[in-house]
Amino acid sequence: MSDSAFDNIKEGDEFALEHSNFTRTDFVKYAGGGGDFNPIHHDESFAKMAGNESIFGMGMLTAGMLSSVPSKWFGATSVKKYGVKFKSRLWPGDNVVFKGVVTKVYTEDNVKHVDMDLFATNQKDEVLIQGFSTCRPWSP
Amino acid sequence: MFGPPVATINPPGLPIERGKIHEFACSIYDDNPLYHDEVAAKEAGLPSVVAPPTYSSVQAHFASANDMSGFGDLGMELDLRFVLHGGQEFEYIRPVFAGETLTPHQGEIKTYEKKGRRGGLMKFAEIESYYTDEKGEVVLKIKNILIQTAGVVKA
Repeated sequence: MSDSAFDNIKEGDEFALEHSNFTRTDFVKYAGGGGDFNPIHHDESFAKMAGNESIFGMGMLTAGMLSSVPSKWFGATSVKKYGVKFKSRLWPGDNVVFKGVVTKVYTEDNVKHVDMDLFATNQKDEVLIQGFSTCRPWSP
Repeated sequence: MFGPPVATINPPGLPIERGKIHEFACSIYDDNPLYHDEVAAKEAGLPSVVAPPTYSSVQAHFASANDMSGFGDLGMELDLRFVLHGGQEFEYIRPVFAGETLTPHQGEIKTYEKKGRRGGLMKFAEIESYYTDEKGEVVLKIKNILIQTAGVVKA
């Protein structure tokens, strides 16, 4: 966390995180962490009965991990806006890249603001989530 | 601007806890010290550890154990077997910290229908909610987008 990430930031700058080989345990861990106990995300027979190949990850697991891009890049207190649209599902075994690209740097109320586009993309180049964020330095 | 508190979304008076933030941050594989380490947070001049941007999902689920009625009266019938979470947006007026107690309020609900790519009718519900702090000030605005498809979705 540092405000200095804002100092030399410019349009087109990028930041990425990745997570390889998502497991069923990752989904169960998020069920406990986030409280989503929809059986479609942890009960293989239930998921198959509902027409799926296997259980799949919660959208909010991928969304939570994508939110680490702005919060790691600009600081945990700097995230002013964060939004996601779910496009494809996360399956066991997937490798995912979480990436942010700065689209705009501007000043609002005398505070520097950074807008960025965000993407979570799997090993087949499918976009799982498309998102956006606005960050600005914040101090108590 | 927004309605009365929605007690079902969050048991009244339930504080945001350090331990739950730690568990949540672990479950999204984020090792940011400001999510885990009270000492680091205090050294950074913060009252306690910070809640990650999507942490409010925890409160939403405390709500209603998988019952989406936690969203309140949508003014439309949704068949939960076919409801997808289409997206979500968060706007933080300021960061949220462990030790705080936030109260959720229901905001505007917009519903509309669209024809899906495969011809079925899709119903959309955009649900706004507002979280106020102990001073009654809005600290967080959330918009949830739910989509009901015409049947099971094959990805």
